[in-house]
Amino acid sequence: MKRLFSSITDGRGFDLVLVGVPFTFLLALSGLPLAYNILMSFQEVDMFSLGSVIRPFVGFKNYVDLLTQPETMSILRNTIVFVVGSITGQFLVGFALALFFWINFPGASWLRGLFLVSWVMPGLVVGAIWNWILSGDFGVLNFLLQQTGLLNGNIFWRSDPNFSLWAVILANIWLGTSFNMILLATGLAAIPADLYEAAEMDGANAWQRFWTITLPMMRSTIGAIIALGLIFTLQQFDLFAAITDGGPNNSSNVAQYWAWDLSFRQYDFGKGATISVIMTVFVMFAATVYVRSTRHEVRG
Amino acid sequence: MSENARNRLLLALSIVMAAIYLFPLYWMYVTALKSGSEMFATPPSFWPSAAQWSTFAYVWESRNMGRYLWNSTVIAFGAVALIAILGTGCAYVLARYRNIWVDVGLFLILMFQVLPASLMITPIFVGFSQLGLLEYPRLAVILAITAKSMPFFVVLVRATFMAVPMELEEAALVDGNSRIGAFFNIVLPLARNGILVSAILIFMQAFGEFVYSKSMIQDIQFQPASVGLNSFMGPNTSEWNNIMAYATMYVTPILAIFVLLQRRIVSGLTSGALK
Repeated sequence: MKRLFSSITDGRGFDLVLVGVPFTFLLALSGLPLAYNILMSFQEVDMFSLGSVIRPFVGFKNYVDLLTQPETMSILRNTIVFVVGSITGQFLVGFALALFFWINFPGASWLRGLFLVSWVMPGLVVGAIWNWILSGDFGVLNFLLQQTGLLNGNIFWRSDPNFSLWAVILANIWLGTSFNMILLATGLAAIPADLYEAAEMDGANAWQRFWTITLPMMRSTIGAIIALGLIFTLQQFDLFAAITDGGPNNSSNVAQYWAWDLSFRQYDFGKGATISVIMTVFVMFAATVYVRSTRHEVRG
Repeated sequence: MSENARNRLLLALSIVMAAIYLFPLYWMYVTALKSGSEMFATPPSFWPSAAQWSTFAYVWESRNMGRYLWNSTVIAFGAVALIAILGTGCAYVLARYRNIWVDVGLFLILMFQVLPASLMITPIFVGFSQLGLLEYPRLAVILAITAKSMPFFVVLVRATFMAVPMELEEAALVDGNSRIGAFFNIVLPLARNGILVSAILIFMQAFGEFVYSKSMIQDIQFQPASVGLNSFMGPNTSEWNNIMAYATMYVTPILAIFVLLQRRIVSGLTSGALK
């Protein structure tokens, strides 16, 4: 007993306790739910069987049912459009801004940091603001687009099935751009300056320098940021809740919102768990890509 | 062009870009100050003709915002405290050693970090309801947020510990400190700033958390401000000045903290997120 105690205060035991307690906590509150999710995806779980662990086993019924539901395909397509559209927009705007702020001038780093307010704001608030900006009759975006001559009539961003998904994508691009920019700026700052000096002496112009030095040197950063973008867009929930609520008629519904909707609005926890299991596999895949692209840095 | 003129031009250009980017935020503040009729004017006014400061008091009273913000604060403080207690030691050990087990631990941490809350809520809700934890809804949300956000905290704080020279701790051990003594007297004080910044980041996230609170807190007495905002925004609402006033009161404290600590937050974020 005494040896155990002295090991905890002054030996290996100290490390084991420090790392063991949080991992036990994480395994209990994240690992167990993951396993429980898989179990529930093979069960029929509704309000009545919520309290018991032994529930009717239905095999792959939940999976088969979901695949044959008419809305499944359009929701999966929406998810892909949402992810690809958001990541592309965030990355391109973020990269352009990072390149601009890469030029050294007084105040550059402070102003660049200011962009990050979009990222620290609660998602619900961002959603509320964009909901109002995107409003059909009185929204300021429609007004600005008409003033600049880009648009003739009002677009009903939130209630027109052709635009509802893009309304959320637009808000999500705004939300994520700053984070992309900050990380890309860190990557840019790490490129050794003498590479550019050497290229300049060899007569390479700015365009050539970008394609032959900047992009190749940024490859692992870009890989990591795309993977992070995938992880973050698949986590996005608040904007859907605040802007379109997945509607109208599922036109802006995506898998992660649908999973919640199935569980907490339709009380079909089995199906909600099934979608969650499928999406978790995708997220973990993205995380593995992220680890691979930052692996040389993982060990510090 | 002289160096000075170039700098001024670039500064002006970047201010314009920041202004465009931050326009949604500006629009929130302006709308909150408009009257009910001015808000729907066409063309919209970009500066309120008569600022309606009374809207804030009205919304604060009628929506009972004090209670919502109090719940948000309780949840955020609870989650941050639990995360800091559990996560700091974990980050320290993962920074101190380099072996295969540390790599496995880091990989697990990352996997726990990326799990989306909207997917985890189904099993967490069912599990918690079976354990009876939903009787204490705010505690249930604190536990769920802790599981979700602790990995991020560990990643950020680990980067801080990596910057603390091992030699200092070794010297303390040679001087007769125990491991616990060296950790609390030498290592923790040196990493204090990094831990504090990471805790503030986590606090801001937890203060705006929505999925878990929306799903697990049915009783309006215990709901945080994010859920309150969500129920304020009905499908066909037209009270946008009131909603924006709500959003303003909710978000301004967070923005103030951010602007004050901007440099530290940004550098803390970049040192951790890519490593």
